[in-house]
Amino acid sequence: MKVLCYSSFTFSYLNRARVLYQTLRRFHPDWELVALITDEPPAGFTFDPASEPFDRVVYAKDLGIPDFRTWLFKHDVVEVCTAVKGPFIHQACGWGADAVIYLDPDTALLSSLHPLEEMLETSDILLTPHLVDPNDERTAIWDNDLSASRTGIFNLGFVAIRTSGEGARFARWWNDRLLAFCYDDIPRGLFVDQRWCDHVPALFDKVKVVRDPGYNVASWNLSKRKLAIGKDGAITVNGVPLRFWHFTKLGPTGDLMTKTYAGDNYPVYELWAWYKRQVAAVTDPAIPEGWWAYGTYADGAPIEKRHRVLYRDRPDLQAAFPDPYASGRGAFRAWLATEGG
Amino acid sequence: MAAEAASDPVYTLLSTAVDAAFYRAVYPDLAEARVDPVGHYLHSGWREGRDPAPWFSTRGYLELNNDIGAAGLNPLHHYLMQGWREGREIRGSGLAPRYYAGRQATEADFGWSFDPGAAPRPTPPTAVPRRRAAVPPTPGDRAAVAVELDPAYYLGMNPDVASSGADPVEHFLNSGWREGRDPNPNFSLADYLEAYPDVADAGINPFAHYLAAGRAEGRIAKRNLGFRYDVIAALPSMADRLARVAARNEPPRLGSAADLAAAFAASKCGLADLHVTFSHDDYTTNLGGVQLCLQRESRRVGELGRDHLHIFPAWAWPTVRTVANEAPVGVLWNEALVGYFAPALVAQALGEALAGVAPGRRTFAVHSLLGHAAQDVLALLAAAGLREGFFWLHDFASLCGGYHLLRDDVADCGAPPPESPACTICVYGETRRAHIGAHMRLFEALSLTVVAPSQVALDTWRAGGEFPHAGEVVHPHASLTPAGPAPAPGKGPFRFAYLGVPAPHKGWPIFRNLALRFAGDPRYAFLYLGKQPMPGLPIEAHPVSVSEDTPLAMRDAVQELGVDAAMIWSLCRETFSFTAHEAVAAGAVVVTGPDSGNVAAFVQAGGHGRVLPDEAALAALFETGEILELARARRNPRLHDLTFSALTVDLLEGGRP
Repeated sequence: MKVLCYSSFTFSYLNRARVLYQTLRRFHPDWELVALITDEPPAGFTFDPASEPFDRVVYAKDLGIPDFRTWLFKHDVVEVCTAVKGPFIHQACGWGADAVIYLDPDTALLSSLHPLEEMLETSDILLTPHLVDPNDERTAIWDNDLSASRTGIFNLGFVAIRTSGEGARFARWWNDRLLAFCYDDIPRGLFVDQRWCDHVPALFDKVKVVRDPGYNVASWNLSKRKLAIGKDGAITVNGVPLRFWHFTKLGPTGDLMTKTYAGDNYPVYELWAWYKRQVAAVTDPAIPEGWWAYGTYADGAPIEKRHRVLYRDRPDLQAAFPDPYASGRGAFRAWLATEGG
Repeated sequence: MAAEAASDPVYTLLSTAVDAAFYRAVYPDLAEARVDPVGHYLHSGWREGRDPAPWFSTRGYLELNNDIGAAGLNPLHHYLMQGWREGREIRGSGLAPRYYAGRQATEADFGWSFDPGAAPRPTPPTAVPRRRAAVPPTPGDRAAVAVELDPAYYLGMNPDVASSGADPVEHFLNSGWREGRDPNPNFSLADYLEAYPDVADAGINPFAHYLAAGRAEGRIAKRNLGFRYDVIAALPSMADRLARVAARNEPPRLGSAADLAAAFAASKCGLADLHVTFSHDDYTTNLGGVQLCLQRESRRVGELGRDHLHIFPAWAWPTVRTVANEAPVGVLWNEALVGYFAPALVAQALGEALAGVAPGRRTFAVHSLLGHAAQDVLALLAAAGLREGFFWLHDFASLCGGYHLLRDDVADCGAPPPESPACTICVYGETRRAHIGAHMRLFEALSLTVVAPSQVALDTWRAGGEFPHAGEVVHPHASLTPAGPAPAPGKGPFRFAYLGVPAPHKGWPIFRNLALRFAGDPRYAFLYLGKQPMPGLPIEAHPVSVSEDTPLAMRDAVQELGVDAAMIWSLCRETFSFTAHEAVAAGAVVVTGPDSGNVAAFVQAGGHGRVLPDEAALAALFETGEILELARARRNPRLHDLTFSALTVDLLEGGRP
């Protein structure tokens, strides 16, 4: 099976993505690895795709999204890096691969994903739920089960499709939805790309819900997953091989969530320690922390989230200010200063 | 004064709030006069505008509350009696910053550094980060904390507080909590603040919050992450580890070929008979079980009239070297240090010294390749015309740079395949190829007989690698010889002891936690025998130091103290455990875990104690009292003498005495 695997990120996440692609290369040297980047390299950093652990780069601006910069302005960095997953997967269906797999840049493989290829022999769409076992304790239910109810049953740090049949139909639908509705707006039933996928088992056939606990292990399901490292060298989750881990929220927030649910299951901390060492080893100090080329107005001032929300909610503003990044007299930014509040 | 004070309710109340250490520190005129800080503040200090504690400014209170000054009231007394209830504002002492700065400077003198192999010092408390000015303690806080703070624990964990004579409750309330000093073993300030940012934002004492509200709200007092979490959190990468070791070592002054030639010229046998050894350090200055064995080997070589050349890395280095002639080596010639030289120079000088000398009995043993490059070892042996020799399994450096086979310093790994997921994530995983490669080079170029100090060490090595070797020998470092019954034990609690270096990989946190859990249980006494002081723990510390002159010091101490059982719970598989042999020789039994290698094998083979599946099983033995079955009074043990081996010499023709 010819597989194309991609991740979507900005240069701030290049270090994490490098770790992911290194692990992909290790276990799947035959897969085509593509980096989908919604950013431009910062000054002082030389980006040489040939020396990166992926095969090629696709810039989001080259996906043919109409009025790309204006469209992008309506999203914050998380929203847009999620939104571009849709057009990419839709277009990738026509690039000759039998299957396309998406993985978040903060995931990493600990063993082969070959069983997924086998699943794709009989299924066209694979999704991993946040939880495959219900929690019993009140705090865990609040933190995990109800969080998944708000943000989506499936974690879209992973999705795999066949590029034909129901897989292709899903890609087309996801493309359409994410181009128009990929916002973090939970009160309106939106959480970027995830809430949409709650519909997938109802809208599509040949959907496989991957309930194997070795996939997409993260702090939100640690309360029901026990990690073990055997003297044979295998790493298992609830007795089955660990396939990939989702190292969400690298830093104090992630540490706190992990401690809360890993408790004294110390192999979890070994795994995190490894991940932190790997990320540190491939972090390029020439990339400023929090860098994002589309995060500022033309004059360098940061674009506030509320400005983006206002702009996307007001067609009149979109019509009046076709280049919302501009600064100076007559620009959206100037209008904000006087009338936008 | 004290009698008068005790009957004075004002004095009593003020004594709960006046910080004596602060008062003496910021008013040295009073310290020299040796006045009682509480009495001084009560009678005159407040009138002089002096501050009783870092958190309370006398003048500040009067400025913020005009009515108090007008009424001529003692500001602190007023605040403690009613001001706090009325929500009156206070201001911290202007002298507090200087006071804390002075304290930090003093505490910084107790700097600590990582030293592989040495016992870690207790982790210094981490100061609680200040998000806003700390709220001073209320009388309610004071009363609750006074009941729940464990004074013995607090003073034990904070020797500086104990030596200052400060009251632990006062110290904790006034400054200790901000300095991250936990009030008892079951509450963690750091955990509480990390989990509950609302408490951190409020600037209140987390323990007081927990007692007043948090406990009832179901908040967690302390995370049970286990000691392995702490080890992993502090685990340096290999690159950092090597950089740290490199930074610690000064380049030695290198000797010349003439120095070596002069040393070799002073031969016992005209250089005909020669024994060459390699190890990771200078066994004449660093003392440990293996070093003491090497001393015996060297002495026996001398007694046989042969010359002994020992090569060790000039700098202790935790991995093999991969580049030839990269780092200097130390040279011991017949137990005397000749100096430090480039490895190639030693090989050349030895070759020149031996040229034309008819070889007699020439032998060699590699005790450790740590810090050596295989190429350097091969070059030197070639210069001596040596190819057949011995390779010792004192550790498992031939399988991994983590030569204890302790994955991430927390769990026995069993030396799985280097490409396994476990080795992928282990901090030592990246060293495996270099270590296996360097040793393979030796084994392929030489004809080596592998010598293991225990069968379990040999079995592990066989399972973990496939090195071509000429033979295998199991040769223990020590053996037991019966020496009659032990004297009748005295009465008293069951005496459970930890022997040796109190390090995590030796299971020290397991013993410490057990002692804390059963502190005060009249059935048990917990003892520590070793070199470290043990302040603040419910553990009797007895200094014991083993040296070449007192090789049986540990055995003698175990016997003298009437230890019933010794906990030797190495997390890593020991290739040989002197400590276990010493304990049993003294009439104690050994309690150990499943991954302790030679300890568990020795216990099982000789019926010398218990091998337990895990730490929970150990705690259960104490909970039920089943451990009491191991008391001397129930066993009537025998004593043993310990006979030590001379390592390689025992294996040489004519080597045994």
